Amino acid sequence: MRVILALACKDLKILCRLKAGLFFTLGWPLLVAVFFGLIFSSGSGSGKLRVALVDEDRTAASQRYSSRLEKQENIEVRATSRDEALSLVRQGKRVAALIIPPGFGQAAERMFYGDPPQIQVWIDPSRKAETAMLEGLLFKLAAEDMQRVFADRSVSTEMVRRALENVEDMPPDNGGEQQQTRRFLQELDIYLNRPTGGETGTPGASWQPLKVESREVTIQRKGPKNSFEVTFPQGVLWGIIGCVMSFGVGIVAERTHGTLPRLQMSTLTQTHLLAGKALACFLAIAAIEIVLFLLGRVFFGVRPSSLLLLGLAGFATAVGFVGIMMLASTFGKTEQSVAGVGWAVMMPIAMLGGGMMPLFIMPGWMVAASNYSPAKWAILALEGALWRGFTLQEMLLPCGVLLLIGSLCFALGTRILRLVR
Amino acid sequence: MMLRLDNLYKRYNGTPAVDGLSLDVRPGEIFGLLGPNGAGKSTTVHLAVGLLQPDQGAVELAGHGSPKSPDVRALIGVAPQALALYDYLTVEENVRFFGRIQRLSGARLAERTRQALEFVGLKDRSGKLVHTLSGGMKRRLNLAVALVHEPALVLLDEPTVGVDPQSRNSIFENILELRRLGRTIVYTTHYMEEAERLCDRVAIMDHGKLLALDTVSGLLEHNAGSPTLVIEIDGRETRIATDDPLAELNRLSETSRVQRFRLERPNLEQVFLNLTGRKLRD
Repeated sequence: MRVILALACKDLKILCRLKAGLFFTLGWPLLVAVFFGLIFSSGSGSGKLRVALVDEDRTAASQRYSSRLEKQENIEVRATSRDEALSLVRQGKRVAALIIPPGFGQAAERMFYGDPPQIQVWIDPSRKAETAMLEGLLFKLAAEDMQRVFADRSVSTEMVRRALENVEDMPPDNGGEQQQTRRFLQELDIYLNRPTGGETGTPGASWQPLKVESREVTIQRKGPKNSFEVTFPQGVLWGIIGCVMSFGVGIVAERTHGTLPRLQMSTLTQTHLLAGKALACFLAIAAIEIVLFLLGRVFFGVRPSSLLLLGLAGFATAVGFVGIMMLASTFGKTEQSVAGVGWAVMMPIAMLGGGMMPLFIMPGWMVAASNYSPAKWAILALEGALWRGFTLQEMLLPCGVLLLIGSLCFALGTRILRLVR
Repeated sequence: MMLRLDNLYKRYNGTPAVDGLSLDVRPGEIFGLLGPNGAGKSTTVHLAVGLLQPDQGAVELAGHGSPKSPDVRALIGVAPQALALYDYLTVEENVRFFGRIQRLSGARLAERTRQALEFVGLKDRSGKLVHTLSGGMKRRLNLAVALVHEPALVLLDEPTVGVDPQSRNSIFENILELRRLGRTIVYTTHYMEEAERLCDRVAIMDHGKLLALDTVSGLLEHNAGSPTLVIEIDGRETRIATDDPLAELNRLSETSRVQRFRLERPNLEQVFLNLTGRKLRD
């Protein structure tokens, strides 16, 4: 085992010193993961709605509304001027510009008559889904504001009395609207100021338009939390392919540079040599998986649904591609031919398997064809542990396929390598 | 006997690379394998160390058996003709790595690494990456790697190919020092000067066959023919093979005016020419 470790350490050391090899095994995959992640998320990696807010009313009501908006978890607010807000939306840097126009505070104090308080929402038409979400959020805030007024007896009484004064100033009408509004407000005032006893003190507090009782349940996640959960498995795949090619070419380089015969002339057996290469490749792949998922976890919100399953997926993927590496090293007799044929084979495998375009946006026929690509099973296994919410049982299929592919390719590759010797 | 090759045959695609080769290498000697490129020297080395399996015949090492066994290969150090080194490891890392796979470890590995680098004069370059070294330094490192585990038998396959005169002399000194230390060395070369200078016994090979095997003086005595007296008379050069050049020169001086003369002593080139009808470097 000591000599196998020595062989593996030597290969890993060389891999770290070859800048091109290191770039394709770590730098390039990270670029793929981050670049496509940013593209798919249109620049927002936090999952929050990014809006610009303009308060042109500057009343206590508008400031209270702004403050509550800023406290929302799923929204990121930037207070600014009207011109800058619209400019930010035009440049795609903000989903929408929210403008609180003059008169907002005054309208907020009238509840049952006159124009309601208004908020202008300037949107980016290409992001309608996010805009709809934003509108829902604004209505929710308004409803909470209404509930707050009725929850406080003094505030609601004061509002009703001020409204009664305003009703007297309304012009007389034929339809009797003034009279009806006055009667409603008087009844409301009596209701709000009725004597109360016991524990049910404030009338508004006991009334709600809808009572929602929340219970926590464990739900099965059926989609990625953010685009990086899709692109990081893709990045890992590209790293693995870079690693496979580096080690595949490395085996041929050992032969052409004469170091393989020298190793064979030492005390090593053929099994030692193959095990050393396989271990080095396995460790390199594992390192790529760990480094990329750690970076994804720390900086891009990539969170596995199960660390154990992610470990299983990573292990099966590494075993599968170690076997592929062994077979790839037999694609030619020189480094150039192995690299040329290797990339020509690995690129379509990776792209068909979802290495560039996610599987779930591929057309049906391509998804069916992807079953023949080991890259598909690797990505499926990694996604299964990240966001598809696979159970151990569901994980067995992709992992089993990877282990089978790895074993077959390893056996075939080592057989050919022995024949070449 | 340190190494015995017994009636070895090895063919590549029907072409014989080694053709019925038998020889013994004695303990403590420098044994030369001399022949032109393609004579079968490297194949012989690969058979001797177990890298290749003979089609027929046997290899035995100092009573330990065949080099097919890793334990027997541990007794052998090989400096291959191709520079078999890792360019992106340092000088010291290369020696340590090959020492480790030759079963050295811990303090012993560190000590042997240091000694091997000192032996070939590369101690001060130990931290340099191999690809930054000159060709001569790489050859010396190639030798250090072969010696790190203190093998009883050292096989050096064309160890001076492509090196500068300074490194070549350094390698010669190393090899003579190894003999003083009691190591057995098999030295393949197509440079007759190297064989004459270093080797106790020389086997001359061509087309995979052993043509002659003896000490250098024995080979010259039995296969080189007479020395050649080269004289210039009236501006014309004449070559005369003779066993008594002094008497011949006196005889010619009596009848002609000898303007210049020189004596060409027979060498291994002449031996090869006489044995094959071809020059060594043809």
